[in-house]
Amino acid sequence: MEFPAALFPSYFGAGPPREEDGSAPAAGWGEHGQVLQGDPGPGRRKAHPAFVPRRGGTGEIWDPAEAAAVPVLPPSAGCWIPSPAPQDILYRNSLCKKVRACKSGATLDFAKQLGHFFVDHPEDAFGSMGRLLHKNFYLGNSKLTVSVSPVVAVWAHTVPCAAPTSVPSSLQRPARSSTIRMTALMEDIDRLEARRGCHRQHLASRLRWFSHLCRDWLFEVPLGLLADCLHEELMLQWSDLLFDDSLTGGALAWLAPEDVGSHTGLLVHPGGQAMNHLFFQDMVLEELPRARGSPVQFELSGRIRQVAAARVDGEDFVGVRSDYHCGVWRVAGRTGTAPTPLQVIHTDVPATCLTVSPHLPGELAVCTQSGTIYLWNVETRLQQLRSDPQTMFFRDHSPWRWSDFTAHPRVLSCADRTGLQCLDARAPKKCHFDLFKVGEEAGCQQGERVVLPMYLGRAHPSQYLVTTQFSVYVLDERLPLVPMLKWAHMMKAPPVFAHLMPGGPGRSHKVVLGASPTQELLLMQYWGKSWSSGGGSQSACQLAGTPQKLHSIVECLEYLPTQLPHRHHLLQERLGAPAAGLAGTVLEDGTHNSMLVFQLSEAGDVFCQRLTHEAAQAELPQEPCASPQPTPAVPSPAAALRYRRWLRALSRGYMESPQHTWLPSLSQRRLFTRKELEGPMGPSALQRQVRQWLRQVMREGGRIQHWEPVALQSLVLPQPPEPEGGQDPLSTRLTAAWSGDWEQWWEDRSSFNMAQRQRALRERRRRQKRARGRRSLSASFTSSLTYQSELSELSDAGPPLLSPSRPPLPSQEGSSPPRSPPARSPPTSPAPDEALLSSQSLRYRGIPKERRKTLRDYLSVWAEGPPEPPELPGSQASQLCIPS
Amino acid sequence: SSYDHKLNFRKSKEACLSYIQDAMLQKQWKRAAEFLTSYIESLEKDYSREHVGPSEMIWRIGTEILCHHSHSSMKEFNCFIEQMKISGVKRYLKVCLEHVFHLLCNGQVDEAYQNLSLAESWRFGDQTAIQDKEMKLIQAYKGLLDYYSWSKQKNILLEHGLDGFADLSVEQEMHSCFRKAAVNLKEIIKIPGVWDPFVKCYVDLLEFYGDHNEALQVLNEYAYNSRFPANPNAHVYLYQFLKRQGESKKSLISALKILHDIVPSHELMIDFNTMLQKSKKRKKRRLGLEVIFAALDYAGWKENVKAWSCLARQVKQIVISEKHLHWIKEEWSSRKDWWPAFHFSRYLAKRNWQKNKSLSYEKALVAGILLGKDCKYFKYISHQGCKAQVKRFRMLKKFVNRHNPVFLRISD
Repeated sequence: MEFPAALFPSYFGAGPPREEDGSAPAAGWGEHGQVLQGDPGPGRRKAHPAFVPRRGGTGEIWDPAEAAAVPVLPPSAGCWIPSPAPQDILYRNSLCKKVRACKSGATLDFAKQLGHFFVDHPEDAFGSMGRLLHKNFYLGNSKLTVSVSPVVAVWAHTVPCAAPTSVPSSLQRPARSSTIRMTALMEDIDRLEARRGCHRQHLASRLRWFSHLCRDWLFEVPLGLLADCLHEELMLQWSDLLFDDSLTGGALAWLAPEDVGSHTGLLVHPGGQAMNHLFFQDMVLEELPRARGSPVQFELSGRIRQVAAARVDGEDFVGVRSDYHCGVWRVAGRTGTAPTPLQVIHTDVPATCLTVSPHLPGELAVCTQSGTIYLWNVETRLQQLRSDPQTMFFRDHSPWRWSDFTAHPRVLSCADRTGLQCLDARAPKKCHFDLFKVGEEAGCQQGERVVLPMYLGRAHPSQYLVTTQFSVYVLDERLPLVPMLKWAHMMKAPPVFAHLMPGGPGRSHKVVLGASPTQELLLMQYWGKSWSSGGGSQSACQLAGTPQKLHSIVECLEYLPTQLPHRHHLLQERLGAPAAGLAGTVLEDGTHNSMLVFQLSEAGDVFCQRLTHEAAQAELPQEPCASPQPTPAVPSPAAALRYRRWLRALSRGYMESPQHTWLPSLSQRRLFTRKELEGPMGPSALQRQVRQWLRQVMREGGRIQHWEPVALQSLVLPQPPEPEGGQDPLSTRLTAAWSGDWEQWWEDRSSFNMAQRQRALRERRRRQKRARGRRSLSASFTSSLTYQSELSELSDAGPPLLSPSRPPLPSQEGSSPPRSPPARSPPTSPAPDEALLSSQSLRYRGIPKERRKTLRDYLSVWAEGPPEPPELPGSQASQLCIPS
Repeated sequence: SSYDHKLNFRKSKEACLSYIQDAMLQKQWKRAAEFLTSYIESLEKDYSREHVGPSEMIWRIGTEILCHHSHSSMKEFNCFIEQMKISGVKRYLKVCLEHVFHLLCNGQVDEAYQNLSLAESWRFGDQTAIQDKEMKLIQAYKGLLDYYSWSKQKNILLEHGLDGFADLSVEQEMHSCFRKAAVNLKEIIKIPGVWDPFVKCYVDLLEFYGDHNEALQVLNEYAYNSRFPANPNAHVYLYQFLKRQGESKKSLISALKILHDIVPSHELMIDFNTMLQKSKKRKKRRLGLEVIFAALDYAGWKENVKAWSCLARQVKQIVISEKHLHWIKEEWSSRKDWWPAFHFSRYLAKRNWQKNKSLSYEKALVAGILLGKDCKYFKYISHQGCKAQVKRFRMLKKFVNRHNPVFLRISD
């Protein structure tokens, strides 16, 4: 409360920020900053004056109690759709990589996104035109003849019983004659897709014609307008990827009970698939916090961006911000009472900030992107304090605004990227002063911007925290512009979340800083008052101890049971989701103090970590702190149980969700012609037998060499095609001679023989080739099989089908179509062997060029599950050698 | 190729740095030290043209590790810093300054003084603006240490003076310390900045030698020069100096008035209020009421018994005299929409009663006058007070009931 009797010396200059002093990765280390003659500490009297440093003083020692953060709540139901990653919207090719290496900015892949729009929303893109045109576009393979006579012929053919009076109607004739074949165009488009990224490609002239002809009328939405909107959205998405300020403040709040001793509390967090459900979850704080009962839930009409809370007069007020709505709830101090929604406001432009007054009940501050700041009182409604689209101290393009409360309940701070001002709500135009300026005043760097301001009222009524992407500042509103404390935090991403845990008398204040994309959490401590005596005089702000990294959510991945690779990947994606909020609390239990830090991810997962205070060492100040207890190397049994339960719930959620079908389906229409697919109605007896053997052998893991004799015996050579008629050669010859064209018969006969011989020769060569190809295919198949069985033993939460005790598969009956995809193939396999898919090997196997890509696509999809052993005709079994 | 080589080298350097960072952030100082020994290699092949080269990193990281490593000693630390001083010309003064800070925090004042003298005599070509600032700071800290030895000798001399011994050499040394300190301290406080310890010491020196005009000038300059930040301490020092000099009430009040204008929540406002309340002039008493109302606007004063009793006393005076009721009315008009919730809620009544009875008494008096006898706060406290049979509270109830018409006049 009192102002420090002496402050640390510092220079004060006005003007723009300094140019030099790049952000060094180690800028926060090794400096004392300044020293000041201070309180020598308890029981220390010396002849010499004692000095205290601004940085590098002793702090409290907090040791992590667990090896990693532990899930607090079961994973939210329904699957989570990750937000776009840079590779989704950036243009990727070699040329661009070079460009980016030169740091001339990223290139957005505009064309791909526009293409996605056309494919994903064809109805919106060309709905009516498509309906009008679909009769006139022919997409088949066969030739389309437009001449009049075939039309008549077709007509005559299809209407055989037409009365002689009926004349082909004039309506139908143009419909046929105005049809054009689009197959070639489609092929051109496919080819274009294959050559994507090649700058020097020549657009097919056909495509150019087409686009030239139809650009103006084909699209439902005018193309220029659509492109503008898409481009704008892409830019928005990209800037969000670079830095998403809508999350500022964080969407997690911890409401501690009035009674400090009771180890309970209320966790307020968003959830649901769209993060639009607000949950108030009762928690019990034991070694690991656990949920008690089911949460109180509210469904909101927008994604929850921020949850802010403050306690006034024993009641908690919880403000919730989504883009266009802000709401406030009241939670009575007594446990067990349901939260009451009080009021909702709607904004025309997205709101950027919502803070709850710690002074007056039902009072909040709201900012919007239009640069307007409101004081919102539940009883007296909104009061506009300022509306200025321009930034305060210098020009900055960001529409982000923030506002918080100060020591004076009628004075609010308002912030943009360039600094902070305080303004009096009673006369906002006249009464205001500058609290923080990005400039020489605070020793800022060039390019430094305000990221999150926070009122530290619970620690000290007139102190303020300001974070920028480089540093954190502690300000005192009684001495504006001059930071009481400045420290380079060295975080990789700007800290958009901060949580204060005030320390009592003689204890340091703890601030946890959090970044969103990297999930970083950093614990820093500072002394706001003299620590030597309980109610001692106020001393200047000092940073205490060294900053400490806390566990992030994604770090627990290594302590989870081993997963199958694709599940590991999914899990990594899920756990690595950007952080969305931060909360914490200090539990004081006699001498045994512990700190709980909760972290929320964008996927809606809430993880928690506990730190324990080493009281014994804290009693010896000025002593260089020895290395603290190392972080436990493995999670405790309780934590491991938590992990397993959480994983099980997560995988159950994935199984139930329809989006994640583990068994892909694929159309074979493009891979094989219909004729090829039209085989015998069912597998022959031999095939069935062979299949059964194969399965049996697979079950036993044995060898299948004993097939050889059987296979040899059942070697079936292709039958030479019978000449039509089914007559024996002699009678044909006689018939021919009888009819007088015996010569013709001779010609036919000799050429038939030659064709037959040629065909036989070709057939043999083909068989040899195929056999050679198959050998490598089957080898890769078996290796993937063993790989799988190894994994299935390791995996804890693998799909039940993989468990060793699975019942033997029923032998396949003739009912299933011969080339149907293996519906029961386990959904796992390593990435397909590259050699298997390379075009060379495909050519080697005699697969025609035009089908190689299709086949490769097919195989890559099937790489999800190993292909079922190829059904071999018996003739080739002799050449097989499958290692067991 | 050499390009690839450089690239790979840079990559491994960065990786090493991130390992060090990771270890330090987890307070694994030994691990960090091991990595640092590998990182030092980067000094040899420093191709970087970056502003912050590896030598600065090594200095910063090394210092931090040595401060926390369980096996490090002051000797090792000094050794390391000496090496660092010669590794970069640009950073020499900064490293010296930080070294001095470290020595001072560990109580090695004499070594610190030696280092400051050495650094002060360091010259290397043209100095940059930053180096110039650092040099001034080095001189100022040297002046500060000179001041401390001066005051030590002064104390010796004063003790011996009482005994009747006057040691000439001690006195001479003391005067030379004064000269050295005064020159250096005078320099730095001319430059805009926050120089609380330096100003305090310099004024102490000047006061001891009777140069009050110079001291006053220094303090005025520190408080009122617009190039300096609005430091409340500058006004506090001026006020304290004026008080020590026995200056007139008027000048004290004007000094505090300015402090009130820049920091209405300063703790000296209680003194200011009492001073103004005693004044004969109406205007000053009026200001006193304003000051105490303004102070109680701030969250930090919410439970300050002194401030509430100041307000209660003044409000009571006004109510009894029934003169200047419009003062209260004017002050109250801008507060009546939020003070009841901020100060006089039922919750606060309960809590204040539980924790601090005298606070609740003062507040209840103010609440009773400003909000009438039906106000929640007053009702709760007077009820509790009467129940507990405390005479004070019964008197309070009577007083408020008697003066209830005042409330009506204020609130209309």
